[in-house]
Amino acid sequence: MILNKESVALMQKKASQYPRRKSGILPALTIAYRQVGHLNDQIYREIAKAINVPYVEVAEAATFYTMFPKQPTGKYLIQVCHNISCALLGADSLVEYLEQKLGIKKGETTKDNLFTLISVECLGSCATAPMMQINMDYYENLTRAKVDKILEELRAKA
Amino acid sequence: MSTSTTTQPAVKMVTLTINDQSVTVPKGTTVLQAALGAGIHIPTFCWHPKLKSVGACRICYVEIEKMPKLQVSCATEATDGMVVKTESDIVKRGRKAVLEFILANHPLDCPTCDKGGECDLQNLTFAHGLDDSRFDFLKRRHIVPGVPSTFDDLRIGPEIMLNRNRCILCYKCVRSNKEAFGEYDIGAFERGNAMEINAAPGEQVANPFSGNLVEICPVGALTNSDWRYKIRVWLTQTTPSIDIFNSSGSNILFYKEDHKNRIFRTISRRNDEIDDGWITDVARYGYQLVHSPDRLQKPLMKKGSKQVPVEWEEAVAFVARRLAEIDDTKGCVCIGGLASPTLDLDSLHSFSKFMRKVIGTNNLDFRIDYRSLPEKPDSAFSTLSSQPFTIAEIDTSDVIFVFGSDLVKEHPNEYLRIRKARNFGRPLVYSVNSFNVKSADVADREFIYAPGTEEVFINGLCLAAIEENPGLSGADGLKRKISPADLNSAAKTCGVSAEDLKALARTLINGKKISFIVGDQVSLSRDREVIAAALCNLNRLVGITSRGQMAALARYADSIGAEKLGLIPNPHPDVKRALTDLWGGFPEMAGYHTEGMFSQMLKGELDAMVILGANPVAMYPDHEAVAETFEKLDFLVVADLFETETTAMADVVLPLASWTEFAGRYVNLEGRIQKAERAIKPLYESKPAYAILADIAAAARKPLFSSAREREEEIEKVLACTTVRPWPGDYLDVRPPAIDKDPAYPIMLIIGDDPHHRCYVTEKAASLVKFCSDAYIELSPELAEKFKVEDGDAVRVESKYGKLMAPVKVSRVLEGDVVFLPRNFSVTRANSLVSRKARIDWVRINKVSG
Ligand code: SF4
Ligand code: FES
Ligand code: FES
Repeated sequence: MILNKESVALMQKKASQYPRRKSGILPALTIAYRQVGHLNDQIYREIAKAINVPYVEVAEAATFYTMFPKQPTGKYLIQVCHNISCALLGADSLVEYLEQKLGIKKGETTKDNLFTLISVECLGSCATAPMMQINMDYYENLTRAKVDKILEELRAKA
Repeated sequence: MSTSTTTQPAVKMVTLTINDQSVTVPKGTTVLQAALGAGIHIPTFCWHPKLKSVGACRICYVEIEKMPKLQVSCATEATDGMVVKTESDIVKRGRKAVLEFILANHPLDCPTCDKGGECDLQNLTFAHGLDDSRFDFLKRRHIVPGVPSTFDDLRIGPEIMLNRNRCILCYKCVRSNKEAFGEYDIGAFERGNAMEINAAPGEQVANPFSGNLVEICPVGALTNSDWRYKIRVWLTQTTPSIDIFNSSGSNILFYKEDHKNRIFRTISRRNDEIDDGWITDVARYGYQLVHSPDRLQKPLMKKGSKQVPVEWEEAVAFVARRLAEIDDTKGCVCIGGLASPTLDLDSLHSFSKFMRKVIGTNNLDFRIDYRSLPEKPDSAFSTLSSQPFTIAEIDTSDVIFVFGSDLVKEHPNEYLRIRKARNFGRPLVYSVNSFNVKSADVADREFIYAPGTEEVFINGLCLAAIEENPGLSGADGLKRKISPADLNSAAKTCGVSAEDLKALARTLINGKKISFIVGDQVSLSRDREVIAAALCNLNRLVGITSRGQMAALARYADSIGAEKLGLIPNPHPDVKRALTDLWGGFPEMAGYHTEGMFSQMLKGELDAMVILGANPVAMYPDHEAVAETFEKLDFLVVADLFETETTAMADVVLPLASWTEFAGRYVNLEGRIQKAERAIKPLYESKPAYAILADIAAAARKPLFSSAREREEEIEKVLACTTVRPWPGDYLDVRPPAIDKDPAYPIMLIIGDDPHHRCYVTEKAASLVKFCSDAYIELSPELAEKFKVEDGDAVRVESKYGKLMAPVKVSRVLEGDVVFLPRNFSVTRANSLVSRKARIDWVRINKVSG
């Protein structure tokens, strides 16, 4: 079992709140992601069993949502928005700067397993472009200086 | 208050105009269906008549006045006064644009695609003259890792190949799988441009209906290894036929090539009254057994200790002579016969006449199953099994009760029907059995009664009904006839609570239209007469058949035909009279049924058997005893497609032609007579059973019929008799017999068909063997845990009568102390565990270490 008792209990509680059990899949995926940090087939099976829904439907929902990483990531998953508003305000150079600072390419994880860098579609925060999401938090109106500070703080926390 | 419960509420009609034609349809009809109904064609990809509309592909665009944009006709409801155009310029432009989109990633590999010639996409693209694309980026291409294939085909199931590049994402495969079949082994993954169809991660698409996915794929994305790359569709001819592996008789179409005298595939031939266009994999791939290299090619005759090939004349003359000799020396009472209920009407009637008129015996039967027949002839059960049942009535039933049936294995079509009723209506569905079954997934509730308490459960229902509605007529009379006669002790014995029984009784009392299906756990029970009596009482008490239908469903393609033609020692009196009239007589003797014949054989009082298309040594309970019984025979003649355990013991073996090799008629469980046309010429020297019998009769100088015409007329006359037996005029005694149980054998054994096999013949169909090639022990997760076994581990199963070894399959449905064993395999013979006398087969299991 990958999922712990708390996660399973929470999933079951959430699933019971909907008229259709199937609706419990998305909350369950989020709960699993929060616990494990990524998702995989084994987790889909455990979710299917926990909330009694078909395994394939868990897998379908999980793969539909690219926001759930399907492989282990570093402690911090940096998701830089590369969609239109952010792109116009320098998302590309932001990614380049992060690659340079972290010493990895987009899609890779640092050796110390702290950071994984990817770029993603619009995160709905266009008014504060360019922006990125790290794990569950938004970082907005980014500049290089801000990025330096953010990384420093995260390193300190880790 | 309305006094009648049967009048349908009037359906509101709407009238619309499609292409200047006025069309009137019931409210709720889609624009697409209104158009199709009026003979106006609109192209579709994702729409399917038996699935809910999703509007995924957009190819069915039409123009509707007062609507600003084109509308998808498959998901737009027709309304009064609507003005629809299906062929205007703007519609054509829209369609063309949709096609361009669909083709954006399509590989356009028609020359190497197996769907070529019957592809909706190819046809439509051709019709719209799209020979170029404005997209100049690279197409998205799914490459199968590690598979150096030019076609990028991925195997996603024992039979199914997937080419994701060709897929147009209509989702028909996924939708039908989930919606129509209740199966979850295929899905749609990822999103947007990356979206793809695939098997559930780490699994195979191997459900009992999986072949349908290939059939309904509008493009060449799903193909099956049965058919692909063997022949081009335009080089084949088609022959309408029916599925003879199933008592519903799904309608099918064979694709064959006349010069090769070979069938290449089976697809459905949609019959909305029976199959809705869905056929099982057994129906689809079962034809392969016809071309099996193991087919019997020539008659065989035992000479010395060996069976050697001989000419037909020699074999036929020998059979005629031996039967005449035995008749002369011992009398015709010493001759018996068994015919398979999957044979056509001509063969069955010829058999009846051959036995009764040519030989003069009344020892004949068609019932050979994995449980023995009760010794006494049926009465209540004959009533129950002769009741009319109409498959399509399930659609509109508001209460559906499935009693003692593992429906997916026994009656797959009816299972799909109930699913459909659930998808499109709100029936209450109950599944009641002594073990958990897959088909309970369509039920509102599943009830499990204790092993061997069918009649107690039904008594309980009657008692509950009386408590719910004390005014029910004759309640007191009933109580005197049944035991236990109080609700609480019945509930206690059968293990279903009094509250639940009352709730069930209420639905039966209040249901407006009931479909009550009785399955194998009743039909094949040693005590089926008692259970049937209980069911007769229930019907008398609450009047199920006055508001619907209730029957023990027939199990084989022509069981009803055999019943109607009187292929049992004591046929329906009307049938007997008709036969007597036709033949100017009927054997005087009572005659023995299957079980009786076997006892007579064992006693040495039955010396010769004629067997057509049946394999009792492998299928009838208590393998060793049956084999021993057959050894006692003086003379055994068997006609079959293959060499079997039974033919191995025969003095003469005759090669039988399959249902594809001659035109035959079969009567499905509804009593519907259907025809299977001849698709190919008989292979090798095989002959239909009716021809074989005619030859033997001619050799005995007692010709069966003067002409085929005469045979047909006789059949017509006999079939004209109604064989529905009236319900008893009073309540019947129901005293549950004791259930034998030995604590040394604590587990209940269930025997039946694997969902991909039927009886003993489908082992010869290569595709079906890919799904399942030998017996397994399906057991509940609890038992798996208890015996510390996983999938594939070997276990030994032992009953008082025999033992065998098989690999474990941990069940997704079974719960508790129950194991399931398929009966279809010659290596592992399920019938060696089964007793002839017990009601329940109790076993124990052990893990085989190492
Ligand atoms: S595989 Fe065929 S049926 Fe399934 S979505 Fe693709 S095109 Fe449709
Ligand atoms: S474009 Fe970056 S948040 Fe919307
Ligand atoms: S057929 Fe109507 S949208 Fe596909």
